[in-house]
Amino acid sequence: MRLKLERIGKTFPGPKGGTVEAIRDVSFEVGGNEVCVLLGPSGCGKSTILRMVAGLDRPSSGTITLDGRVIDGPGRDRGMVFQAYTSFDWLTVRQNVEYGLRLRGVAASERRDRAAHFIDLVHLTKFADSYPKVLSGGMKQRVAIARTLANDPEILLMDEPFGALDAETRWHMQELSIAIAEETGKTILMVTHDIEESIFMADRIIFLSRHPGTVAANIVPAFKQGRRWSRKEDVLELPGYAELERDIMRLMRQQAGAETEAA
Amino acid sequence: MTTPPRRRPLLTLRAPIARRSAVALGVACWLLFFAIWQFAVSAGLVTELLLPSPFKVLSTLVALLSTPDFWIDIGASVLRILVSFALASVIAVPLGIVMGSFRALEAFFNPFMAAWRYLPAPSFIPVLLMWFGTGEGPKIALLFVGVVFFLIVLVMDYTKQVRPEFIETSMTLGGTRGQILRTVIVPAVLPNVVVAMRQMLAVSWTYLVIAEIVASTNGIGAMMMRARRFLHTDEIMAGIVVIGVLGLLCDMLFRIAHRLLFPYIDESAR
Repeated sequence: MRLKLERIGKTFPGPKGGTVEAIRDVSFEVGGNEVCVLLGPSGCGKSTILRMVAGLDRPSSGTITLDGRVIDGPGRDRGMVFQAYTSFDWLTVRQNVEYGLRLRGVAASERRDRAAHFIDLVHLTKFADSYPKVLSGGMKQRVAIARTLANDPEILLMDEPFGALDAETRWHMQELSIAIAEETGKTILMVTHDIEESIFMADRIIFLSRHPGTVAANIVPAFKQGRRWSRKEDVLELPGYAELERDIMRLMRQQAGAETEAA
Repeated sequence: MTTPPRRRPLLTLRAPIARRSAVALGVACWLLFFAIWQFAVSAGLVTELLLPSPFKVLSTLVALLSTPDFWIDIGASVLRILVSFALASVIAVPLGIVMGSFRALEAFFNPFMAAWRYLPAPSFIPVLLMWFGTGEGPKIALLFVGVVFFLIVLVMDYTKQVRPEFIETSMTLGGTRGQILRTVIVPAVLPNVVVAMRQMLAVSWTYLVIAEIVASTNGIGAMMMRARRFLHTDEIMAGIVVIGVLGLLCDMLFRIAHRLLFPYIDESAR
């Protein structure tokens, strides 16, 4: 599995007929089993990059390839988890998780088994036959993750998936996602603006500057000793954590500073 | 020690009131209405020929309900509503959904529909009478024309409100255009389609009465026009009551159907 972005640019039509350059010359690769985090200040276009990888938006220039195939639209090889809750409210948890399998006509018994496995993976077995209306925000995101994984994508794209959750639920979800990455060996490309989240989750952080968005730094949190940690507090107490958090905060502030000077 | 809760004045801004008080207030308004009506009749402020007392209207209504003719009139009216509304829905719901889903279809149909919407349906009555004669045709046609264009737009607007993340989620799970339409857009918009139908059914009743008053020999509206000829004001008013009750009943049926059909909807999130 290799995702490759080559010199991606994106312009939007701006006010007064001009164009606004949102993203310029973004290139990076994500390899097999990697958890890669796109981090940057708001307005750096990180969500747009993720949407282009998903095939929901088209780059204005450059190419995105997955294992050599050019991406020119959405496909089930790239599963997406959105920040907004997307559990279909007319389907039960089980039916939601089975949804992608039903689309491609997987037999009912296999569908059921696969769904049960991933519902269990996100600890929702007790709620398998409930409708989303009884679920909390965190549980709804777990449904979305299970539904995406059950569809067996090559890469899991997550667009600020925990942004709408309260702080406690958020770190539970971060730990759960790491456990899932370990268990399934899935490649994850995730967007966030939360520095702590990025350091805990990422094997590699791609830091983006803004106006236009471009890759400013490629950060490997070496202090994590090349492994993933299942508990967040274990990462927080590692030597090197504080330094990295401080460095990234400075990067963020530089961006804000550049913004103020430009204005 | 706990202090007893202080009584809030009845008119506190935005404050909720007890269910019992709400019911009592609703009933009170009706009682006041009937009291003023009865007073106006008793005090001789109005001619009883033109405005009979509420009790007279009620007793006439009870008497009418025991005659088969009245039930035939009610049946004729209800049948017209059912047939015309079914026809309008069969066309408007699918068309509204595809117009709300595909911009090209919206661009094609919408200017056409918009023009028809601004034409008052009753303005078609003369030509409908010429085309369809005096049978059921012109009545069904009037009700259909009065409802179908509005229902299309309501369904289209509700379809456009289907959350884009739902559609994009299905896309990234491998959904094709047809699959997304069938498995996301239709189920997502269906509860609101029922709401739109409920709203338009009320309009349907309005056109029904117009159709029956203008050109009909049966139905509740025609019954009222017959009563007018013999100055039976009490029968006219009994007719009005029946129409009101039937309208209310339809609305209730739709509400109950909505609850039964869509148990998964989170009422608190609305």
